[in-house]
Amino acid sequence: MEKATSRLRVLALLVVVMFLALSTRLWFLQVLASQGFNKEAHAQSIRTVYTDPLRGQILDATSTPTHPVVVVGNQESREVRIMPSELGDQGEAVVLRVSQITGVPVKEIAKTLQDPKYLPTQAIPVAEFVSKKVKFDIAEHPEQFPGVSVQSTFVRSYPLGTTAAHVLGYTGLIDSTQLDDWKKLGYGPNDIVGKNGVELSYEQYLHGQQGVTRLLVNSDGDVLSTVSSTKPTPGDDVQLSLNDHIQRLAQKALLAGMQHARSYHDQNGDLLRADAGTVVVMDAHTGGIVAMVSTPSYNPLWYERGATAAQSKYLNNGNIGAVNDRAIQLAYTPGSTFKPITGLAAVKEGYASLSGSYDCVGKYTHPGDTSGAQFVNWTSVDLGYMSIATALEKSCDTVFDAFGSDFYYTWANNPLGANADPLQGDLRQWGFEQPTGIDLPFETGGLIPDPAWASDQKTLFPYGWVPGGDILTMIGSGYVQVTPLQLARAYAAIANGGHLCTPHVVDQIIGPDGSVAKKIGGDCDQTVPYTADQLSYIRGALGSVVTGGTAQCAFAGFPLSRVMVAGKTGTAERANKQDTSWFASMVGPNPDKPDYVIVTMVEQGGFGGQTAAPITRQVIDGLYPKIGDASTPSCVTTDR
Amino acid sequence: MDLVATRTFAQERRPIRHVDWFLLLITLALCVVGLLLVYSATSQTLRQGGFDPFDRANKQAITMVLGVFVLLLLAAVDYRFLKIYAGFIYIASMASLLLVRLPGIGSTDPTGTAQRWFAVGPFQITPSEFTKLALIITLGAVLANIRTPEPTLRDIGKVLLLAAIPLGLVFLGPDIGTSIAITAIVVGMLIVAGTKLRHLIVLCLVGIIGIVLVFQTNLIKDFQRERLTAFINSQSVSADVRYNLDQSLIAVGSGGLLGKGYLHGIQTNLDYVPEQHTDFIFTVAGEEFGFVGAIALLALYALLVWRAIRIAWLAKDPFGTYVAAGIASMFAIQMFVNVGMVIGIMPITGIPLPFLSYGGTSILASFAAVGLLQSIHMRRFT
Repeated sequence: MEKATSRLRVLALLVVVMFLALSTRLWFLQVLASQGFNKEAHAQSIRTVYTDPLRGQILDATSTPTHPVVVVGNQESREVRIMPSELGDQGEAVVLRVSQITGVPVKEIAKTLQDPKYLPTQAIPVAEFVSKKVKFDIAEHPEQFPGVSVQSTFVRSYPLGTTAAHVLGYTGLIDSTQLDDWKKLGYGPNDIVGKNGVELSYEQYLHGQQGVTRLLVNSDGDVLSTVSSTKPTPGDDVQLSLNDHIQRLAQKALLAGMQHARSYHDQNGDLLRADAGTVVVMDAHTGGIVAMVSTPSYNPLWYERGATAAQSKYLNNGNIGAVNDRAIQLAYTPGSTFKPITGLAAVKEGYASLSGSYDCVGKYTHPGDTSGAQFVNWTSVDLGYMSIATALEKSCDTVFDAFGSDFYYTWANNPLGANADPLQGDLRQWGFEQPTGIDLPFETGGLIPDPAWASDQKTLFPYGWVPGGDILTMIGSGYVQVTPLQLARAYAAIANGGHLCTPHVVDQIIGPDGSVAKKIGGDCDQTVPYTADQLSYIRGALGSVVTGGTAQCAFAGFPLSRVMVAGKTGTAERANKQDTSWFASMVGPNPDKPDYVIVTMVEQGGFGGQTAAPITRQVIDGLYPKIGDASTPSCVTTDR
Repeated sequence: MDLVATRTFAQERRPIRHVDWFLLLITLALCVVGLLLVYSATSQTLRQGGFDPFDRANKQAITMVLGVFVLLLLAAVDYRFLKIYAGFIYIASMASLLLVRLPGIGSTDPTGTAQRWFAVGPFQITPSEFTKLALIITLGAVLANIRTPEPTLRDIGKVLLLAAIPLGLVFLGPDIGTSIAITAIVVGMLIVAGTKLRHLIVLCLVGIIGIVLVFQTNLIKDFQRERLTAFINSQSVSADVRYNLDQSLIAVGSGGLLGKGYLHGIQTNLDYVPEQHTDFIFTVAGEEFGFVGAIALLALYALLVWRAIRIAWLAKDPFGTYVAAGIASMFAIQMFVNVGMVIGIMPITGIPLPFLSYGGTSILASFAAVGLLQSIHMRRFT
């Protein structure tokens, strides 16, 4: 047996090798690679189920806890849902029955069921807003509808329809950019989020917190127990500064005014098209937006529930631009509404004096300019010397043209100096050329043309900056572009003594318990460098525009002694389009402290005094219902 | 010689005085661990289904009690009788392998992927488990009769022929795990019998050629081919097989150094590992007791195999040596192939882990093997 001993050793050695192999592998699996396996073990055994919170409502300014005025709410919808895994072998028959009972085509149901965004274990919604009868029919015949259920869910409702669509916005499935930005905040790929308007800009308040239930599941997907569960927290309500009543009224006035304008002819004898416009009503002291109408508009439900082919075509038509909020997302040539502001700049820089008088010639030529370029007033008659106030009242271009020449000289004499283009600098102090910072998305900044900009525009300015640049800017013409909201904000500063308030459509956030969670707005710290006297002078001048100037006709018969209205008309030329009609105004019982600023703009609306001013009067009638007489004067004017 | 002294000497040599208590202790320890692991693997699923969570563990315990009787019986019988009846044992074993293939007598899984068994009341008897022991006894008898210092080619041929019949039948079972075990037993016993190195090498080459042929021809079924190669290339196999291996690796790997604690294994409780209470029972130990527990368990097996080799060395006659060596090879290869499969270094084959895997026949056969070892150990002086 001596030999057997050594052979047994061979056997023992083989066994030792086996144990070493197993131990090494175990060391790798359980010590070196353990963390990764641990992660995998947890990922597959805990399933997280999210319960969507009820989205916060959007309330109007007058809403109170006892009398809520809901402008965006939640509507209960009965949804038919199909669980594909429970259909069994009669899938086709069930889908056919569901189609018959709901009216949704079989094809559409089949397509929804195959949508890869749904998990196979999920009940897939195939029809919404079904009647109670459908619910009972399905509930009563479970054998005919295996795997089919009717469940209540909440969808967004927009009772105002088109009225404030641009302000309110709409919701939709989160997109990849939003998901990237908001992942940290706990958003997931199936979340419904704000896509535009307040729905987007206050998304974080409206959304609420999802309820999270963590379930322990086995390899068959059976739920064994609940690991943890938190209930969803409903989103905060958002109360607007916007007044539902004024908004409707302003929209009505704008649409009626545009309709009326389409019966007028332009200088060429064509009927005005008056196809788009906006009205902004702003609290002059807080920047709170009371009404903001933009037309043409759309119904948010087209985005929420899916648009018809015709609706999609309309929404995507760039010529109509229904999706654009014209108050903040498009910039326009302001025309003469700019003059109070450029006039103040001329005073500030010392080219004009509030006590001086200036010649209102019929045609203005820049001194020394031999090219023959002439800047014409709206009348070729020389109206003689006049004050700044009268120049504003009569909307005399040539007085302001001359100040433009002065600004040009300043630049030309020292183009590389520290303050080489004071006009542009002064205008930017009013907030032009940059977004106002309103709490709405996709705001644009407009343009204040200056020598630096001109040097980049070789086709428009082949010789660089020219006198015409400053001269046209002085009268709000040429390449100046402002948004109606920027103009309203600047006029509010004139009205309130020089404070530039950050505009806002939301006043406060109201928590689920009804308490005010946050106040929005009231930021009026930025000021413009003009004295109270200077601003008061301008207000007075704008008052005379209404009493005796270009807006006189529009306010004929209006009790101006009880409610002061001060404003400036504008008629801005626009390439390949009819003139833009403007009226920028301030209004209130106290002439020294107007309550509201109202800016009305109608694209292709003709003269300011003819279209925009009468619309504004309608809005004012609504703002002061006991004072206004609600008359609609027809004002055919020839001045600007 | 003094009569008294002779009697004392005879007393001293009574088999009952030479029980390998250490071996019994190891067996007991493995049984206790086995019951704990089976309970952990099955209780949660049973409770969910509304059954008694102890159901499987109880059945396993009953089997173990039966196993103890088998152990006592075989320990009581002089193993040398088995050498005399080796021929009968061999023929009976081959007959059972053939019978189990007959429809109506033997049963099998409807998928055809499991071992074949006889249904005896509530128990399933898998004859291939006993085939291994029968073959060990048979080959032990053949090798013990060799009178030359080393087995001649003729002897080797005889051994191979005797092994080939059960190997073929088990392989067609289809039961690749037991086939591997049989092969390892034959090799182990041939080594201990003193087969020349060059003969062993030739044997290995023939074996390798045979395996290649089996893979090339359609002798093995697709599911087997897949399972066998899963550990080499996990990308090329079907989701089912990969799932099996992945879940097993996750279970063992996530156990970490110290494990998640008894009855706290996520994979185990949630039934993620298929066949967890049978072939994949080691995952429970790996997940709940971690690296430390797994190594401790392997150490128990190492002690078991060491004890078997020691008995082979101490055995009074070559037959005892060969049988004990065969049993050592059997335990070692079953442990290695099973644990290796669970941790992904061996092919996935259906092979139970001795004393741990749930299943009556495997437990009984393991106890029988320990009984044989005891019989050899107890009679080393008589």
